[in-house]
Amino acid sequence: MTRKQRRLTLIGSAGAVLAVALGLILFALSDQIVFFQSPTDITQNELPAGQRIRLGGLVEEGSVVRSDDAKVSFRVTDMENVIPVTYKGILPDLFREGQGIVTEGVVNANGVFVADTVLAKHDENYMPKEVTEALKDKGHWQGDEAAQ
Amino acid sequence: MVIEFGHFALVLAFILTLVQSVVPIWGALTGDTRLMATASPVAQAQFILVLVSFIVLTGAYLNSDFSVVNVWENSHSAKPLLYKFTGVWGNHEGSMLLWVLILVFFSALVGLFGGNLPADLRATTLSVQSWVTAGFVLFILATSNPFNRIPNPPIEGNDLNPILQDIGLAIHPPLLYVGYVGFSIVFSFAVAALILGRTDAAWARWVRPWTLLAWCFLTLGIAMGSYWAYYELGWGGWWFWDPVENASFMPWLAGTALLHSAIVMEKREALKVWTVLLAISTFSLSLLGAFLVRSGVLTSVHAFATDPARGVFILVLLCIFIGGSLALYAWRAPMLKQGGLFAPISREGGLVLNNLFLTAATAAVLVGTLYPLVLDALTGEKISVGEPFFNLTFGPLMVPLLMAVPFGPVLSWKRGDLLAATQRLYVALGLALLVVLFTFWLWGMERVLAPLGIGLAVWVMAGAVSEIVTRVKFFEIGLKRGFSRLAGLPGSAWGTAVAHFGVGVTVLGIVTATAFEYERIETMRAGDTVTVSDYQVTFDGAAPRRGPNYTEDVGHFTIRKGGVTVAELDPSKRFYTARQMPTTEAGIYTTGFSQVYLSLGESRGDGAMDVRVYFKPLITLIWIGCVIMAIGAVLSMADRRLRVGAPKPAAKRRRTSAVPAE
Amino acid sequence: MMLWILIAVLTAGAALAVLIPLRRPVEHASDRRADQAVYKEQLAAIDAELKRGLIDAEAAEAARTETARRLLAAAEAEKETTAVSSSRYRVRAAQLLAICFTPVAALGLYMVLGSPDLPDQPLAGRLNAPMENQSVDVLVAQVERHLADNPEDGQGWAVIAPVYMSMGQPLRSAQAYANALRLLGPNAEWFTELGEALTVANEGMITSDARSAFEQAVELDSAPVKPRFFLALALSQEGKAEAAAEAWTSLLDGADERAAWVPVARAELAKLRGEAPPSETGPAVEQPAGPTAEDVAAAGEMMPDEREVMIRSMVSGLAARIDQNGGSEAEWSQLIRSYMVLGDQGKAEATLKSAEEALANNPDALSGVRNTASKLGLTGS
Repeated sequence: MTRKQRRLTLIGSAGAVLAVALGLILFALSDQIVFFQSPTDITQNELPAGQRIRLGGLVEEGSVVRSDDAKVSFRVTDMENVIPVTYKGILPDLFREGQGIVTEGVVNANGVFVADTVLAKHDENYMPKEVTEALKDKGHWQGDEAAQ
Repeated sequence: MVIEFGHFALVLAFILTLVQSVVPIWGALTGDTRLMATASPVAQAQFILVLVSFIVLTGAYLNSDFSVVNVWENSHSAKPLLYKFTGVWGNHEGSMLLWVLILVFFSALVGLFGGNLPADLRATTLSVQSWVTAGFVLFILATSNPFNRIPNPPIEGNDLNPILQDIGLAIHPPLLYVGYVGFSIVFSFAVAALILGRTDAAWARWVRPWTLLAWCFLTLGIAMGSYWAYYELGWGGWWFWDPVENASFMPWLAGTALLHSAIVMEKREALKVWTVLLAISTFSLSLLGAFLVRSGVLTSVHAFATDPARGVFILVLLCIFIGGSLALYAWRAPMLKQGGLFAPISREGGLVLNNLFLTAATAAVLVGTLYPLVLDALTGEKISVGEPFFNLTFGPLMVPLLMAVPFGPVLSWKRGDLLAATQRLYVALGLALLVVLFTFWLWGMERVLAPLGIGLAVWVMAGAVSEIVTRVKFFEIGLKRGFSRLAGLPGSAWGTAVAHFGVGVTVLGIVTATAFEYERIETMRAGDTVTVSDYQVTFDGAAPRRGPNYTEDVGHFTIRKGGVTVAELDPSKRFYTARQMPTTEAGIYTTGFSQVYLSLGESRGDGAMDVRVYFKPLITLIWIGCVIMAIGAVLSMADRRLRVGAPKPAAKRRRTSAVPAE
Repeated sequence: MMLWILIAVLTAGAALAVLIPLRRPVEHASDRRADQAVYKEQLAAIDAELKRGLIDAEAAEAARTETARRLLAAAEAEKETTAVSSSRYRVRAAQLLAICFTPVAALGLYMVLGSPDLPDQPLAGRLNAPMENQSVDVLVAQVERHLADNPEDGQGWAVIAPVYMSMGQPLRSAQAYANALRLLGPNAEWFTELGEALTVANEGMITSDARSAFEQAVELDSAPVKPRFFLALALSQEGKAEAAAEAWTSLLDGADERAAWVPVARAELAKLRGEAPPSETGPAVEQPAGPTAEDVAAAGEMMPDEREVMIRSMVSGLAARIDQNGGSEAEWSQLIRSYMVLGDQGKAEATLKSAEEALANNPDALSGVRNTASKLGLTGS
């Protein structure tokens, strides 16, 4: 092989690997990312059944019902709309009523959000950033200092 | 008084970094030996000064001196001694001081052990390192001074975030920082080489031990962090693709690429431009990680308390260092001479392939980490990029890389023979195929990926072993001579084989723990039993207990295998009183390389508790593999050839007359 | 002073780190010689690999040529490098940096950032400091620490309870009184204080817990006005107008007209008679004699040094009163107890001595004080 051919092989294989990587990234970005929605977003927009989303808001006071088999149901609110959520598993340490949380899962046919992940940060003053902003949009946010 | 002394020591260290930023490099550029000679003593003086201030701050923690704001905010007099100690770096200010301590530690190391380096390279490198150090000390003094005082101190502190009150915190951040920050010295070497115009094979040789050292610690730090998250967060996961994890993982990927490309530069003087760029990018990624963690642009389990002023400051540092070094690079790189030629199929070609995949993977992780931030900033749209994204991008990029790993070391330089290489690996290949068939036979065709993954892991491990065996030619020369040759192999050859073997071990752990994990989530009452894999886990009841600065509900569990008690575990839910914060302490039973993992959830009031029970087969291999990789790095560092360089002045005259006319 | 000496030593050390290497030119090898050493080693390594049969002769030859070329280039470069020099002016500049810039800049920056006047304040030292120099927080923390270790020390609870009250923490105060009562048995005064603390905690509403405390106080000793005052108030709040009016009347019967609570009682009584039957919620507690919620809120808002004055009136104020008026058996005992609970045995012993002198002509009282002291582990003379 000549010097030029070698160089072309090198550049060609580099280009191929990078193209594959780029393709993977673009495909994954179009398919594997999860959008954050507030209860109002879910109520207003028809979601394709089975699409994974992140639902964020406050756990409504008095809405947490535990049943056996480590199942728990509660309602997530943004002070305007409310979405019922069911979850099976161990809740994070800081899951409390009135606490801001983010859950990930899908909305089923009955309008119930079936979560497979519930996130609440390991910090007493934590309010998930998305939740803070969603509540701010709705004008229900007072405790700016508390969350920062 | 002692505290103020520590504060002054830090200020003085800052002034010395300013002096160091100017004097040695001035000497190097003008050929002035006296100025260059200041580099090493001043580097050691800086280290001593920062060490003094660090010890003073530690003393304030141990004495619960709440007149120091930092101690008051992050400590508590009832905290166990160990956590008073580790609490020093369990917060933003203290961890920045640790960061700077490691920066000057590497300066001092180069000063002490850099005797083989040419004086101008050493002086310039230390000056560049001082630029970085000066930036960070200024950052500390201006925005995050751990020595700020309260005239009338409160009587009790706010306590350390309970999740950080763990032995893991004692080890994880220092290891991680030594790795993270260790790449700063590689960065300084690269910038110095560009300034002096000496990017050559010898430079690659000199930088190698420093890259290995940083890489070794970063590997251990990431592994430690992963294990810590695994048992402390109580989620049973060992890697979350959390932005902060990614922040340490990206420098690791880039650093791994750098280790490999530097070999090509050392042996063939090829890939010079690329290697220098990698050296710059690796530390840039470390800086980016620091920015992400400390500026508050992302929320994460790891993120420290945020402060916009800090974010802006780090962003400015980031722009100066990355922008400046890349500008220098753009100016200098075109002047570099073309290096040696090589065929696509050759050792060099293999290493290029390694670099391609590693940098592509780094890019994928970078995109996944930054995309949500960018999208949020541009459109306000909130998305989360989680595990599925990384599995889909990172995974496929790793598979061809892992398949290629065993080929690399057996290919010859310059022009390789793929067929011959494959022949040398046929035992490993056969073994891998056999394992794949066996696992298919064992588990059927339900899980297609798992047996292939196991096969890949075996292929990498067996490839590493067979590389050593064929290098020694055991089967041709007999055992006795074989062993003597084994001992005679250079450290770098051992290092390569051991590190590659470690990669295989980690992959094996990842595949088995992911594919064959058993998980049960149950609400259990005293006397209930759940079965995972071969183990029966019985809940015997829960009881409250008091710790020094927390109270906890401890569940008692008995684990039996075939009716025989093999372990008793006490996972707990803790409540830290000072911060009013609960944490989960998992109970782990290790058997062989596998683990039974218990974590407690909500208490149901009537004595029932939510319990998460896992069986994680071979999961410890994930971390053991990392330790093996680190051992590989140590073996490679032990290679005496890495210490060749400038002859001692005394030997100079004799050598001059003996220069062979080659 | 010591700090400045240390700072001077440290600065001098830092300057020396620059100055010493500048002192005389070092003899050192040419920079290119280091490169040559590396390439020579690489050549040797190629030979070694060839000998081991790891590479074939052809590859070894190629590698050797390449490395030799690099070695030659490095040797060429060495010839080109100019002889090492050291200019006087550069060295002077560096020395100037070390001698002038380093100390001036470091001290200047430190004076801006540091607080050289602030001493270290390790917690152990603060807790062991003599009591006169302690802030109220330290005193309270000391008692709290003591109580955390000895939760069964009723005297301790009795000492801290009024302090909590004056710090505006009525709930903790109530808890402390309850503990003292549980551990040391019934005491009319403590029951009264307990009831009052609970009332203040509930913003003036007398809860059933508080009422039962007042009732127990009256049962033990019906003389003091305070518990009866609160009981009357409770009746008003419950809307039992008649019973309340009766209670107020009997309270006012024979009362000292100058007492602060009398006008309040009269007002309550007038209200009951004039507006009876009172509304469901009962009259607002406008002027009860004890500290109201507002008083407590005011205490909470006091500046720290004001609160300090309050706690000093507990300990040193008691001491002063005793000094002036001689002091009763109970006062002496209380003072000794306070010092013991605060961990200042020296003070307690001194107080015991003073008590022995002051009460020398009152053997009953003296034996009472001695009794208290010996229970606390003190031995008098």
